[in-house]
Amino acid sequence: MTQIPSWTAVAVSVLLVLVAVAIASWQRLGISREIVVAAVRALVQLLAIGAVLAWLFAHAGIAGALAWIFAMTFVAANESRRRGHGIPRAYAAALVGIVVGTASTLGVLVLGGVISTEPQVLIPIGGMVVSGSMQAASLTLTSLRRSAVENRSAIEAALSLGLPAPQAFAREMRTAVRTALVPTVDSTRVVGLISLPGTMTGLIIAGVDPLQAIRYQIIVMYMLLAAWAVSALVTARAAQGSLFDDAQRLVPIAA
Amino acid sequence: MDRPELFTLDDVSLVIEGRRILDHVDEHLHDGVATAIAGPSGSGKSTLLRLLNRLAEPTSGRVLFRGTDVRDLDVLALRRRAVLVPQRATPLTEDVAAEVRVAAPQLTDAEVRSLLARVALDPDEVLGRTPSSLSGGELQRLCLARALAVGPEALLLDEPTSALDPRSADAVDEVIRSLVASGLAVVLVSHDVARADRVADDVRVLHEGRVTARGASGSLDLEHELMSPPTDGHVHDTDDPRAHGSKHLPHEHDDSVRTADLPEQP
Repeated sequence: MTQIPSWTAVAVSVLLVLVAVAIASWQRLGISREIVVAAVRALVQLLAIGAVLAWLFAHAGIAGALAWIFAMTFVAANESRRRGHGIPRAYAAALVGIVVGTASTLGVLVLGGVISTEPQVLIPIGGMVVSGSMQAASLTLTSLRRSAVENRSAIEAALSLGLPAPQAFAREMRTAVRTALVPTVDSTRVVGLISLPGTMTGLIIAGVDPLQAIRYQIIVMYMLLAAWAVSALVTARAAQGSLFDDAQRLVPIAA
Repeated sequence: MDRPELFTLDDVSLVIEGRRILDHVDEHLHDGVATAIAGPSGSGKSTLLRLLNRLAEPTSGRVLFRGTDVRDLDVLALRRRAVLVPQRATPLTEDVAAEVRVAAPQLTDAEVRSLLARVALDPDEVLGRTPSSLSGGELQRLCLARALAVGPEALLLDEPTSALDPRSADAVDEVIRSLVASGLAVVLVSHDVARADRVADDVRVLHEGRVTARGASGSLDLEHELMSPPTDGHVHDTDDPRAHGSKHLPHEHDDSVRTADLPEQP
């Protein structure tokens, strides 16, 4: 293990905040106060999450870790629902997508013996999976909402031929899931070339050999592909259920 | 001759966000004829059409299809028996043949060609093209072929010619007349009262959600009806809508429109 910075070292790093504040006030940017507030917020938030994680790692066990991840899915779904504004029950659609995306991906990792079940592994990995699932759900809802509004005429033309909703909406569904997968496919393709991703960076800083660190990173990239794909598909299916009523009608989408 | 009823609107009202789109409409639309619902934009005529295939639901009253409440019918079956063609001709595929097959994938090549011919599209000319490469009038007729492909008993046409130049609109009207002549019932909605009067057998004038006049085509002073605001209990009923023969457009035998020697629907 390399040496982890002491609190004294953190205090010294406050100088860097002062550099930013000095530039802001010297150039009269009018954001000196905001920089200070942001720096203090970051400090307080990280202290809090550090304390929570320390407690969780010490006391939670596997059940507590899973409960923590489950709780995170609700926060994530609340974030995604805004992208689906106007889609009925968007929160439920996002939640079921994120929960299924997270559970299936973590399930494979744990049952396959890929990662250990200690809280200090489960919680950060689970956080990444929930976050990926959330972004997939958000992009899916954004795309579905847009196409339900823009393609209403084509969708109703298809419904008017007696096609059931899943067929009348098939193009929009494919587009939504494909759109949601583009960012993760892109970042998987260029990983290591453009930026060194977080997991690997953290391990290398902590003194792990780079050739070992990349093993973790490979697993992380692959698990995110699955999490995004499952979450996007499940969110889209759930949202489709709310977008059409019992009489196979596209419901009005609130502005 | 007496025609059976195709659609019956029984005291139908529709209120959306406090706005009364349709106001106690009682109508009988008959089989085997073209009925036009004419009126200015905002009169509720497109909404009325959407009630017939359950794209919209009345706030009160009932819609009957051949005597059965549409809510008691399987909605997908209803929509295949009475196919609605929306106002904007919207292609759903990238290929003309695929477009015809979109809701009837089992059609043979010969049946696709026959359907194209039925809407006065030359199969040799349009097959292999993308629907979006067709002219507006051709695309509208392709949408009619796509609708005919499911074997409907009636077509519900929302402003079938409003986006077209007069010549293309005439060609679409010719096709509509030939379909009616072959026994298909048509309900069409139009803001162009004169054109609606020419293509339809029956005309209803809709004004602010109420039928203000009804009668056989040619029997109504339509421009006058259109301009007069609805008054309570006052409907111009100039003719029994069930009693009239078939209708001929003056240029039905024009050789430029390929309807005369076309095969029947498969």
